Amino acid sequence: MTGKELIFKTLNHEDTPRVAWVPFAGVHAGKLTGVSAKEILTDGEKLFNALLEVNKLYRPDGQPVLFDLQIEAEILGCELQWAEDAPPAVKTHVLSETKDVPCTCMMPQKTDGRLPLVLDVMTKMKEAVGETTALYGLTCGPFTLASHLRGTNIFMDMFEDLEYTKKLINYTNEVNKKIAEYYIEAGMDVIAVVDPLVSQISPRHFKKFLLEPYTDLFNFIREKQTFSSFFVCGDATRSIDVMCQTGPDSISIDENIDMVAAKEITDKYNVAIGGNIPLTTVMLHGTQQDNMKYTVDLLDKLNHKNLIIAPGCDMPYDVPVENTIAVQQAIRETDKVREILENYEAVEEDIEVELPDYDNLERPLVEVFTLDSATCAACTYMLNAAMDAKEHFGEAIDVVEYKFTIKENIARVKKMGVQHLPSIYINGKLKYSSIIPSKEELEGAIKEAMN
Amino acid sequence: MSIYQDIAENLMEGQTAQVRELTQKAVDEGKPAVEILNNALLAGMNEVGELFKEGEMFVPEVLIAAKAMNSGMEIIKPLLNDGDIKKAGTVIMATVKGDLHDIGLNLVSMMLEGAGFEVINLGIDTEPEKIIEAIKQYNPDIIGMSAMLTTTMKAMKEAVQAIKEAGLYDKVKVMVGGAPVNDEFAQQIGAHYSSDANEAVEVATRLVSA
Repeated sequence: MTGKELIFKTLNHEDTPRVAWVPFAGVHAGKLTGVSAKEILTDGEKLFNALLEVNKLYRPDGQPVLFDLQIEAEILGCELQWAEDAPPAVKTHVLSETKDVPCTCMMPQKTDGRLPLVLDVMTKMKEAVGETTALYGLTCGPFTLASHLRGTNIFMDMFEDLEYTKKLINYTNEVNKKIAEYYIEAGMDVIAVVDPLVSQISPRHFKKFLLEPYTDLFNFIREKQTFSSFFVCGDATRSIDVMCQTGPDSISIDENIDMVAAKEITDKYNVAIGGNIPLTTVMLHGTQQDNMKYTVDLLDKLNHKNLIIAPGCDMPYDVPVENTIAVQQAIRETDKVREILENYEAVEEDIEVELPDYDNLERPLVEVFTLDSATCAACTYMLNAAMDAKEHFGEAIDVVEYKFTIKENIARVKKMGVQHLPSIYINGKLKYSSIIPSKEELEGAIKEAMN
Repeated sequence: MSIYQDIAENLMEGQTAQVRELTQKAVDEGKPAVEILNNALLAGMNEVGELFKEGEMFVPEVLIAAKAMNSGMEIIKPLLNDGDIKKAGTVIMATVKGDLHDIGLNLVSMMLEGAGFEVINLGIDTEPEKIIEAIKQYNPDIIGMSAMLTTTMKAMKEAVQAIKEAGLYDKVKVMVGGAPVNDEFAQQIGAHYSSDANEAVEVATRLVSA
């Protein structure tokens, strides 16, 4: 079964052979190919290449094309402040000083702002990986978009000018429908409406201002035979129920919400739920073991129907690649990873490993440390790179793989101080970690070790 | 219901006009301004903080309540004597360099004001130099910094470093908050963490009384 079929089954609320996985590699995709956040959000070719790398290394079942909630606001006249390692932020709010509501006849066109770039990359991604990977088109949800346009005045408007607030949200909802329509035409399988600010309003306000527009939006997407997802960031615990009432096919939440409690609610409505690996504490600053453990724990405490494992929200640029690989491995090979974790805890005392005498080797020694090259894609590529080198150099070098699934190898990894898997060490020194070297690079490094 | 309770409850409902009217009525009835401040306005805002912490109130409700409180403050301010307002302390607030998010910043500022602190709000995208300058100018008890992005957390660390280099770290307590920030990070950079606006008031109160 392809990843795409897995996502489709999950969003159709059917049983699946395993839990689906959707890494939200937005700006983080750039880290995989060494380009900045700004570059991947403004240069179609760089974005496309980075997304292919995400697809290769992280083996997603579903994958967003662009994670930038400022696209629509930029088109509608807000100035953006750009950053090298984060998505841009809205700097000026076009409606902050006026209560005009743009005419619903004035909708973003396909030629506006960065939409040509986005639509082009969506089409290319559809051709390249669309057969096997479900593609997500992300829109900035009506409430957050309204706040982009109006600034924080929107919060006061909710009390002081009910009609205006409704009109403005009606407009931003129409913008969402238009953008969704373009993204669906460009081949997106799932429209994810991302509305982080929803966590900042009460369920009562949600009902008053958002229940109706959102219901309309999800119906619109459904009529176009496309799946929908409702992304929220922050502690929206109390709004999960009313979010379900708007009828999305799925909801995605972050670590501020207890996944078990949230799933009880989404299950009641037969809505799929995705989440909620903590972005900062686990993905950005945690180890591979932390990421495995969080994922395995999540899988252990939730029933697997209507479930997607995903980061809490847009992954920070600098998330170590190995950490994401660890998550996908824990999803695909949960039992093996559980065993790894147990062994990792236990292995300290009882196994003695002899490390090679790296300073006096007869020929270069290429050591490949993997989670398991048979099941982890990045590990397979890493091992293949080393095996290609072996074929090239023949007897002149030694290549050995250490799979993390074997207890002795865990002890070795600990003794060597290997931090990330997969990695390649040459003569006991770390050379490559997670990012697979090209044939030329690796051969060059081995030649250097020969001298 | 006493008029103080009446004011506090209208404040919690964000009824700006009623709070103004009732405050005026209390003044006209000869109630001391300092009692109106403490027993009605600050008491109401304190309750708002509690409800926010419990998840009963959300950002918009807090903002509108703060606006209602200010409508009452405008009436009693001219009537308060210097000694009446026991200033809890002075706090400089800023969102760090590179970060444009001000919801949390404004919320914490309002809650601190509601708890009797004098707040100087430097706004968003604040350079460390500007923070240093403000510390020198206002001699605050606390500098409070907010960051919404994992990437701007770095700017927080740099700002604390700048404060240290300027030799001001011993004169001022540093508080930090924002979505990606946690206690561990705060300790690493030498700051005090609070998870929401209500806790920020608790931490600030504790820091000034220490």
